[in-house]
Amino acid sequence: MSASRDDNLTEFHWLLEVLQTIDVGMLVVDLEFKVIAWNGFMENHSGIAPQDALGRHLFDVFPDIPQDWFEHKSRTVIQLKNRAFTTWEQRPYVFKFKNNRPITGTSEYMYQNCTFIPVTNTQGEVENLCVIVYDVTDVAVSKQELQKANVQLKELSRLDRLTELFNRGYWEEQLSQEFMRQQRSGNATSLVMFDIDHFKKVNDEHGHPAGDEVIRMVARVVRETIRASDIPGRYGGEEFAVILPDTQPEDAMQLAERLREHVEAQVVKTQGEDIQVTISLGVSGWNSGFSEYSEWIDSADQALYQSKQGGRNLVTLA
Amino acid sequence: MSGEHLDEELRDVFQEITNVAMGRAADLLARLLNNYVVLPIPVVNLMERAELNMALTSLEEFESVSAVCQGFVGSRIAGEALLIFNDTSFQDIAELTNFAGDITPQIELELLMDIANILIGACLKGLAEQLDVSFSQGQPVILGQHLALNDLVSGKAGRWTRALTIEIPYRLEGRNVDCDLLLLFTEDSLKVLEDKVSFMLE
Repeated sequence: MSASRDDNLTEFHWLLEVLQTIDVGMLVVDLEFKVIAWNGFMENHSGIAPQDALGRHLFDVFPDIPQDWFEHKSRTVIQLKNRAFTTWEQRPYVFKFKNNRPITGTSEYMYQNCTFIPVTNTQGEVENLCVIVYDVTDVAVSKQELQKANVQLKELSRLDRLTELFNRGYWEEQLSQEFMRQQRSGNATSLVMFDIDHFKKVNDEHGHPAGDEVIRMVARVVRETIRASDIPGRYGGEEFAVILPDTQPEDAMQLAERLREHVEAQVVKTQGEDIQVTISLGVSGWNSGFSEYSEWIDSADQALYQSKQGGRNLVTLA
Repeated sequence: MSGEHLDEELRDVFQEITNVAMGRAADLLARLLNNYVVLPIPVVNLMERAELNMALTSLEEFESVSAVCQGFVGSRIAGEALLIFNDTSFQDIAELTNFAGDITPQIELELLMDIANILIGACLKGLAEQLDVSFSQGQPVILGQHLALNDLVSGKAGRWTRALTIEIPYRLEGRNVDCDLLLLFTEDSLKVLEDKVSFMLE
C-alpha cells in the first residue's frame, strides 16, 4: 500500500516537473478568473513571483489583458465545453511578454497562439479554465516580412525603372479598369498623352545619358504637377500618359497646359550645354462612343499628332 | 475501401455519424448565436485531389471568402478541417454576437475564429466519441481573408492524392450566413476508419 503511494508520489512529482519546465505557457484560472496554477514559462516570462499571482485575479496580475475579450472567449469555452483557439493574426499576444530573444530578435513582444481548454471535475462539470500559450514569434515575424516583401515586389513590377512612373503594362491595366468603371458610372474622365519634342535630336547631340536625364526631368514635372488621384505612366520611349479620373476635359486642358509650361521652364544641366525641351500634348475626354479603351488612346494620340502638326509645344483637345 | 469508389454501406455509416456530430455542432452554434441553425445534409465522398474544387459546389456563388484550417490526428487517423466562410456573412454574425461598431478585418478575424472554434471543435468531438478515438487538434491557420474561392484551393502544395471528404454546409435560418465545413481524412486513415465503423455495419 505504502509502496504504491510512494510510486504515485514519484510519478506526480516528475509529471509536475515536466509541466513546470516545458517551454510552453500553462495557466489555470477558476471560474472567477483567479489564478490557481501556472508553470515556469509563465513565471519566467512575466517576471512575476508565484506568490504575487496565485490566488489573485487574472486581470490584476496581467493588467494588459483585454478583460472583455478574455471573458467573452472564456464564457464560450465554459458554457459549450469546447476548446477555443486564438492566433497571433487575430491578436498578437494575450500575455504581454518580451521577445524571447531580446538581443537578436526584431519584434519587441512575443507573438502568441493560445488554446483555451475547459477543465472538468469528476462529475464532468467545468470547474477551471486552462490557457496554453505558444511562442510563435519567429513564424509571425517571417510571415510578416514575407508579406512586406511581396508587396514591395508587386510595386516594383508596376514601375518603370528610369522614371519610377507606372510602366506601360500596369498603366494600361489601370486605364482598362477606369474605362470599365466609366461604362457603368459615366462620369467625366480625361486622358492626357504627350511626348517630348525632337527627343531624337537630344540623344544625338548630347548622348543617351543626357537623354535619360531629360526623361527623368519630365517625369519629375509630371509627379509635381498632377493630383494624387491621377494615374501617370511612361507609355513609350519619350511618350507619357496620365489618366485623370473625375475630370472634365476643360479641366484636363488646364492641367495639360500647366505641364507644358513647367516642362518648357526647366533647364537640364549636363557636362556640355544646358538642355531645354518642350512637349506636345493631346487631351481626350471619355465618351460613350468608345467601345474599347484603345479607341480612347487613339483619340488622345490624334490630338497629340495635331499639336505636333501645329508647330509643337502645344495642347490640343480631341 | 481499397477500390476507386466509396462503398455505399460505408458512405451511409459515415453520413450517419456525421449527422450526429454536426447536429451537436449546430446545437452549440445555435446556443452561441441564439438563432436557429438549419440542419445541413452532409455530403460524403472519396475524392481525388483535382475534385476538391468540385466539392465546393454549394459555395460557387460566393465571390469572396475567408478560411481557416486546422489539422487533427489521433489513433492513426489524420486529417484537416477546413472552414470556408462567405464574406457577406460577417454583417449578420456581428449582429448576432452583439459586436458593436465597424466591422474591421480584425473583427472579422475574431468572428471567423469564434465560429471555427465551435464548428470544428464540436464536429471533431462528436466524430471522435462515436469512433471511440480521441483527436489532438493543432493550432488553426488562417488560410486567408477576402480570397476568391479558386485562390483558396488551387495551387496549395501538398502530397495527397485522394481523401475522404465530408462536406457540411451550414446555414442560419432567416439570416444571410453561409459557411462550409469540410473534413478531409487522409488516404492512410481510410483503413483505420473502415475498421472503426465496421461494427456499425453488422
